Amino acid sequence: MRRPARDGAGDRSDGACAAAGIQKAGRLATYQELAHFLAKVERRAYKQAVFAVRDDHLALDIVQDAMLKLTEKYCARPVDELPLLFQRILQNTILDFYRRQKVRSTWTQAISSLLGKGSDEDADPLETLEVAEGSKLSGSLSGSPAEQAEQSQLIAFIEKALEKLPARQRQAFLLRYWEELDVAEAAKIMGCSVGSVKTHCSRATHALSVMLGKQGIKP
Amino acid sequence: MNQPADELARRIVEQLDAGVDQMDPATRERLVIARERALGRYRERPAPVLGMAWAGNAIARVSAHRFYSARNLIAVTALVLGLAGLAIWNSFGPSNELADIDAGLLTDELPINAYLDKGFDSWLKRAPR
Repeated sequence: MRRPARDGAGDRSDGACAAAGIQKAGRLATYQELAHFLAKVERRAYKQAVFAVRDDHLALDIVQDAMLKLTEKYCARPVDELPLLFQRILQNTILDFYRRQKVRSTWTQAISSLLGKGSDEDADPLETLEVAEGSKLSGSLSGSPAEQAEQSQLIAFIEKALEKLPARQRQAFLLRYWEELDVAEAAKIMGCSVGSVKTHCSRATHALSVMLGKQGIKP
Repeated sequence: MNQPADELARRIVEQLDAGVDQMDPATRERLVIARERALGRYRERPAPVLGMAWAGNAIARVSAHRFYSARNLIAVTALVLGLAGLAIWNSFGPSNELADIDAGLLTDELPINAYLDKGFDSWLKRAPR
């Protein structure tokens, strides 16, 4: 089932104005509207963070930081700017995590090399998931417990596959298809050209198709 | 537009949405708490953010209101005055005169003040030849 259209998304021209940082004399978000908006996006934001950092607790911290920043600094923005603003904040918060992780890994690299890697680090998490032969991506949660279990497995497989994608490809794919942003908006958030977003999306979709195909899942 | 790719993306997104719906209650609860905590900081008129509205904007960060607070201004002024005083002390202080005498001794061009010093004269007499 397709998710209903985003309430606060507004039309595309409004989104483009927000992306360009243009101060627009729109109606400012009230407390209720902000609360409604956050309730609507928090789970997807959390999942995005999980795909990026692969840690539930860190992902929760990232989402909380993003919500705090939006509320503290940008709550007096027009309602229709909130989706893009929040995505921008979320992506920057995830980026900050990567930067901190890079600094940390620089210091711990020597220790890690001395201790050696664990034998299970090379294991492919995708290979641990069993998806029934011939199962399809389309489907719903309704059905027998066996069907529900199968779909849960499929969801887990797709989420693992997304985690395995390169960060930029995953970011482009999620912004473009999950958050339903247009290419220009995604490019603004990612800080790259429209062409790069298209390339990242295309590669991400192709990589996911290959991964699903290897498991016998028909795209 | 690449239709097969878009169709695949659409189906994947459907599964992602289903995954969000299946999220465990504990995580949902923690997200609600996080949201309420964030909304607790809501103000009708937040501090103005200069520059572009995006988070992570360098101009906005630098021009944050606290940067211009009186306390910071006083601290910076005191620091600048302290550094200036230190530079003046180093230029015209007594250490500079001692350095001149040392240099004179080494180059055998003693200033007249050295010969007027009685201590120096007695030292010359007592010094072994």
